[in-house]
Order: sequence, then structure tokens, then C-alpha cells
Amino acid sequence: MFSIRGASSSFLLGLLGCDIALPAPLPAGHPEEVAPRTGGTLRYASFGDIRSLDPARANDGVANSVVIFLFSALIDFDQKGKLAPELAERWEVLDGGTRFRFFLRQDVRFHDGSPFTAAEMKRSLERALHPATPNPSASYYRNIVGYELYTGKKVPHLDGIEVEGTHVLSIRLTAPDAAFLPLMTLPPARPVCPSAGATFRDDWPPCGTGPFQLREGGWAKGQYVRVVRNPGYFVSGLPYLDAIEMHFLMNPPTQRFKFEVGELDFVRDFTHADTIRFARDRRWQDSITRGPDLDIYGESLNTEMPPFDNVEVRRAVAAALDRKAFTAVRPQNLSIHTSAIPASTPGFDPAFKGQSFDLQGALEHMRRAGFPYDPKTGQGGYPKTIPYLVYPLGIHEKTGQLVQQQLSRIGIRIELRLVSWATYLSLSQRQGAVTMSPQGWQQDFPDPSGVLDPLFSSTSINATESSNSAFYRNPTLDGLLARAHTEFDPQRRSAIYGECNRILADDAPWAFTTSLHAFEVRQPHVRGYAPHPVHSFNFSRTWLDRATTTVPSMGPSR
Amino acid sequence: MNVLKHAVGRIFWALAVVFAVASASFFLLNALPGDPARVVAGPQARPEDLARVREELQLDQPIVIRYGLFLRTLGHVANPKADAERGQVEKERELKSGLEKPKRAAHATCQRVASLAGGYEFHVDFGRSYQHRAPVAKVIFERYPRSLALAIAGIFLQLVIGVTLGAIAAAKKGTWIDRFVTSLTSLAVSAPTFLTAVLLQYLFAHRFRLLPLDGFGDTFAGHVRSIALPALTLGLYGAAYFARLTRDELITLMSQDFVRTARAKGASRLRAFVVHGLRGALLPLATAAGLELGALASGAAVTESIFRWPGLGHLGVEAVLNRDGPMVIGVVFVAASSVVIATAAIDIFGYWLHPLARAKSSN
Repeated sequence: MFSIRGASSSFLLGLLGCDIALPAPLPAGHPEEVAPRTGGTLRYASFGDIRSLDPARANDGVANSVVIFLFSALIDFDQKGKLAPELAERWEVLDGGTRFRFFLRQDVRFHDGSPFTAAEMKRSLERALHPATPNPSASYYRNIVGYELYTGKKVPHLDGIEVEGTHVLSIRLTAPDAAFLPLMTLPPARPVCPSAGATFRDDWPPCGTGPFQLREGGWAKGQYVRVVRNPGYFVSGLPYLDAIEMHFLMNPPTQRFKFEVGELDFVRDFTHADTIRFARDRRWQDSITRGPDLDIYGESLNTEMPPFDNVEVRRAVAAALDRKAFTAVRPQNLSIHTSAIPASTPGFDPAFKGQSFDLQGALEHMRRAGFPYDPKTGQGGYPKTIPYLVYPLGIHEKTGQLVQQQLSRIGIRIELRLVSWATYLSLSQRQGAVTMSPQGWQQDFPDPSGVLDPLFSSTSINATESSNSAFYRNPTLDGLLARAHTEFDPQRRSAIYGECNRILADDAPWAFTTSLHAFEVRQPHVRGYAPHPVHSFNFSRTWLDRATTTVPSMGPSR
Repeated sequence: MNVLKHAVGRIFWALAVVFAVASASFFLLNALPGDPARVVAGPQARPEDLARVREELQLDQPIVIRYGLFLRTLGHVANPKADAERGQVEKERELKSGLEKPKRAAHATCQRVASLAGGYEFHVDFGRSYQHRAPVAKVIFERYPRSLALAIAGIFLQLVIGVTLGAIAAAKKGTWIDRFVTSLTSLAVSAPTFLTAVLLQYLFAHRFRLLPLDGFGDTFAGHVRSIALPALTLGLYGAAYFARLTRDELITLMSQDFVRTARAKGASRLRAFVVHGLRGALLPLATAAGLELGALASGAAVTESIFRWPGLGHLGVEAVLNRDGPMVIGVVFVAASSVVIATAAIDIFGYWLHPLARAKSSN
């Protein structure tokens, strides 16, 4: 929608002789200096909105990016994607991977001044997992001892979370889990102020231990959120910024206009035309960053429904797709990706080729499947038209047309069925409902289990709400996925996931196509910014070096 | 008396229409495929988490029960103080028995419309938004005045620009001015509002920096500055319609016998034009303006989205896309009420203005 709007407005503005060329970047005040300066308000925007800033409920990318400003975690991923101490100074993995002990910092206080202790951490976790809390990822923590009893309202506390001292907390699991520590970085595991109480409340004002805090009036829903520096932040000297403002529901052309005049410092939402303009303009090259590939996309092939119950047809689809054409839909945001593990995840092997475009190979797979196709005459192929469920206003609406065009070259004819996002979500995960659909997955944390378990394990198959949308069952893969959870040696674990990746590329429950990353442009006065491998909008060490002290006003900062 | 009788009849009819529209939207929304809980929880939520969200949103209840709850609370008289005390007693009893259940405070999602005698109040309650996690009535009562303000500002500009252009075109009928105005109105009517909006943003906010690009503003002056461009967007689009309506009405009226008689009796051309012509065009103009006000007051979705004007328009579209049932019903209720009230008001106004209609009714 926005690209059409952007393109048409550019066209008309061009006709009227208006200048749509990019202006020069606004210069930094002291480009020669490297020591960070303190102060200033960094402003950026999103075309999306946030519904909640309560870490027990926030579950979308935009909200999570603000949640990390307000709420610190016991441990978090560092700039290299490794787990690092945060509120916990250190941790131990005990009892063969069934007990995790965290030694908490003793100098941490919540935004309201109250001390952060192991008891507060236990209360926060119990609040997030309480059966009355609308937490959409509570079940990630179901391995904690006593989870079933607690969420079944049988006991008042979660037994598996033990306060061993004022600043020592243990979490016991029912079975060893090598993927448990990354779960402690997610929003529901971030401690909340005592004012949040033991149960979820919609009207609780967000309050945590993060580098920024939310003051009264700082969040105008549907308009902006303004977080200000937490003077009691436990990391000395940080953050450098006085405040961060994020504006919502702002369409890409408006973001560009505001960015040009200095009302925004950082932009990620562009029209297609503007990404090309910025990417080609030499003056902006030092101000462009590429975010991590957190999302993978592919074509889900329902292995329970014909013709995709035949592995040769699935292999034919995987070989018939020319991924390069897919990336042309958003050249600055899409990369070719041909396997199940995202490139930013440990265990991803860049040497592994995965699925690849091979038209002759695809025709051979069709022949083996019993559907030979002659491209010269157009005779043969799969005799029925395959419905392809897709929703409008996204990348998939465009890539779906490419799928249709490219599969017709091997005798697979598909019909695009456009439905609303809500209908798509409901139908594409219902057993026996959809033969083929585009799918994507955004990694919650950089661990292969976070992608492979929900998408391809047979334990994720359900009659409805099946995250395994290909309804793919492979006992060998299931065994490997289970084994990976009990393997704590990183190399051996990587080898297991490498084997999983090979099985999935060959069995092709998905034809993997692309991965998505952010295309970010900042004004040169935004210093110290580097994309984080996990978190969007990582401004933890960002500072401002404006050339002028006069900042164009935008509303809340006045 | 006849006017009053007519007005009462129209009001009852209006209430029935609003109720029917809200009920129809409730059932239609539930008939659509797609799970609101799935939209709330996100595409990656697991079945057990979805079940938890579904229970929390009461989506696990049969549709008839949910409709009953909707009807029971939609409009009601309550005594919040007494209800709160009763709730506290119940909570203490549950605490003693160790069976305390998390529950929401009484009237937590209500919006007080009027205070009655004896501590009683009249409330409306559309429930809690699935997406916003806030009482729908509260969100709507906060946003409706903003949409109404934009609608009034937009219609004011539509009338000022439209009537002026229409009157000039009618006065200069058949000349190049008439042709120019007619062409201009064709262009304005044809241009989609998003294009007009982006052009106005580019010219007035980006190029000349006279007005804010978007937003709502913090102060009264800020609101006025922020409303200018969205109101002008709506104004330009609607002005074209009013210009054509005014022109056609005036040309027709100016050729009527009573105008010729007025001129023969010595009235100047200007007086005949203003007093007899424009006054005669008042009723169709008021009818059109009233209907437009009713429609715009429930939100001009595209214009509000582009200018980030926090009114009802974007809220309604977003609610439909997200299957946010309570919010859809709330917005539909307010939208239908706006249109119906505007229609009824015009009808009563027209009835009052038109002696012939009153005479027919009394016969």
C-alpha cells in the first residue's frame, strides 16, 4: 500500500517539478571526536504501533524494541550474539542441565527506587506465567518444575523458581534443556517493579530496571512514546542519551520528509523507491546499516495433501524457484536464503548450499513424481490447479506472483487466493485446509531450536493452530531435535542442527527462499550506533553529536 | 406539535437503526473466518498460549452468551459506589476461603454518559478492546471529539470554498470562469485524498514549513496548526461537490419565476442572487453538509492515517483488520449513531423549514 502511495506521490511531485532528490546528510557537530557526549533526544518512527509495554504481554517487534529500553534481563545477548551477564553477574548450569543458578548484582534498583532482589525476580516470573496473564509466550517456560500445577491454578507459586539468597535465584527444569538460557533474555523473563504486583493489570505503568524509564504522560497511545534516562541505571555512565522518542503510525513518505528536515534522526521504513535512492547515493553510504537477518521466508508445502505428499514434487518446487527474482521485490531488505536456520543463528553453516535453483533438476523431479512436463509444448505436469493462500499488503503478495510464474515452468499451476491477515493466520495453520502458502518466521532468540522445533517438529502439529504448517513428520528429525536439547557442547550441538538443516533442505517441507533484514539510515550526528544481532533499535551506546543546538520540534519534545 | 411528533418518531427510528447495525456487525464479525485471539497472540503463539488468550478475552464462550453480555452491558444504569463495596465483600469472602479469582473491577470498561439521582449513573459499555487492552468506550470517547473536530473543520472549508466557487460559476455561467471552475472541481473530485494529502504535506509542511507534517499537537494552538492540513485535504475534496451542487442549484433557481418577479419588482441582480437564489439553495446544501458531517465524524480513515490525526477512522479500519470485535462494534455504533443523528436532524430541520411537508403531515 505504501509503496504504491509513495510511487504515485513521487510521480506527481515529479510532474509538478517538485524536488524529490535526496538532500545531503545533516553534518555531525564534532566528527573528529570519538569520546561519547551525553545528552539529547534521539527520535525515530515506525509505521506500526504498540499495544502494550508490559513485558508479560508485549509480543511484537515494535513493542519489544521499546521494552528493552525499560526492562533489563538477567542475561542478554551481547553485540556478538553471545550470552552475557546483565542483572546476573554470573550463572551456573547444574545437575546435568536441569538447574540454572543466577547470582544477581547487588547494586540494582528499579525505576521506582526499590531494590532488585531474587524474590522480586521470582515474583516477576510468576506474574508473567500466571494463568490470568495474557502472555502469548508463557509455554516457552513449561519445562520449569511446577509449571503445569501453577498454570492449572493448583498451587499459588511456581516451585521450580527458588530464592536461595537475597541475590541468588535458581530455576529447576523437568528435563535438561540447552536452549533454556536464551529464554531468560525474552521480555516475560525481565523483572518488573514491585508496583506491578503478582498478577497482570492492563493499567500498570511500565517500570523496570532498564537504562530508560517511562514517566507519566510519556506514552500517548497511537502517537508516540518517550522514554527518559534512568539516572540510577546500574551500568555506570550509560546511557548517553537523555531520551528516546518513538513515533507511531507514521507512513514512510512522512518519515522521509521528517528525516530530511532533522525531525527524525533514524529511519527504517522506506518506500521501495527511497531505499534505492539512499542505497545509490554516495553521500549517505557511511550512514547506512544493515540489520541482522532475523526473519526467514519460504513456501510451505503441505506434506499431508497432494501433490506435496510426494517428496519429489516438493523437491521440484524447491529447485524451480529462482530466489534472485524474489530479492528484487525489496532489494535492500531481502537476501537469498536456502535453508531452515537463519543466518544470524549459531549453527548456521554458510558453506552449506541448501536448496538451489535448478530448472532442469526441477523438471527431473517432476518426471520422477509421475508428472513429466514438456516446457516446449506446455503439455503434462500436475493436472490440477493448486490453491495458494496469501494475504495482501505484504511482501508475500508480490512473491506469490513470482511463485505462480516460476512454477508454471515445471507444470505446476497455482491460483492465488487473497484473504485477510486474520483469515490467513487461521486457515494456514489448520490441518487439511491449505495446500500451499507463503510462511515466515521471526526468531525470538538466536538458537536453532527456536525455529526448527515450532516449524518442523511433529510435536508442533495440531489440528488447528499448527505452527508446523507443512504438517511435516520425520522421526529422524524429531530425534535429532530432541537430542539437541540435551546436548550442552556447542560444537556437537551445531553438528546436530547441521544434520537437521540437511534433512530439511532435501525433504523440502518448505521451499526456503529469502531472509529479511532492516535497511537503516541515520543522520551522521547519530554516533555509536551498531545493529544488534538480536534486538531492533539498539541504542544502548548511541550518542548524539548535533551540529546545531536548535532541534526542530515534533510535539512531545517541546 | 407536529414537528415534535415527527421528531420523536425519527429519534425512535434512529435508535432502532443504530441497534440493528451494531447487532448485525456483531454477528457478521463472528461469522468471518479468522481468530481474534490468534491476531492478539501473534502468528508464532503456541496452542496452549492461544487458549489462555482466548479464555482471557472470553472468546471461549458461545456466541449467544457473548451477545447476551454485549446487550446486558451496552447501556445500563448503575451505582458504581455500591457495586465496588459489594465487590470488596466478595473478594474478602474468597480470600478467607483461599479461592480468590483474578477479576476486573465492576464498571471497569464503562463510560459514564450522565449522572442520575441517588448516586446512580448511566453508562455505556462496549467491553475491552482485544488489541488496545483498554475499555472501548474510553478509547472512543477520547477519539470521537477529535474526529468530530476534523469533520467540522473539513466541512467548514468545504462549504466556504465550495459555495464561493459554485456561486462564482453560476454568476458567470457559460464563461471561461464557469468552465475553469467546473474543470477544477472535476479534478478535485477525481484526485484521491491520499494524493491531495501528500501534495499538501509536501508544499505546506516540507517545502514552505508553514504547518506541521502530521500529528495532533500538545496545546490548543498546536491542535489548530495540526488540523489545518487534514481539514484542507477533506475541504478540497468535498468543496468540489459543494461547488457543483451550488452552481446547479443557483442556475436552476435563478431561472425560476419568483426570481424573475423579484427582478421585475426592482430587486438588484446581487440581491436576487443572494436573497432568493442562495437562500433557496440552503436546504440541499444543508442536507448534503449534514450527511457529510455524519459520515466524517465517524472518521476519515485515509486522511487521519496520513496525518496521524488520532481520531476514529484509523481505529475502525485497524479494528476490522485485527478482528477486534468490541472495538469494531463500538466504532460501528458511534458511526451509525453519527449518520443517523445527522440524518434525523436534517430531516427534522427540513421538516421545520418546509411548510408544505408540515401541511401534508397534518392532513
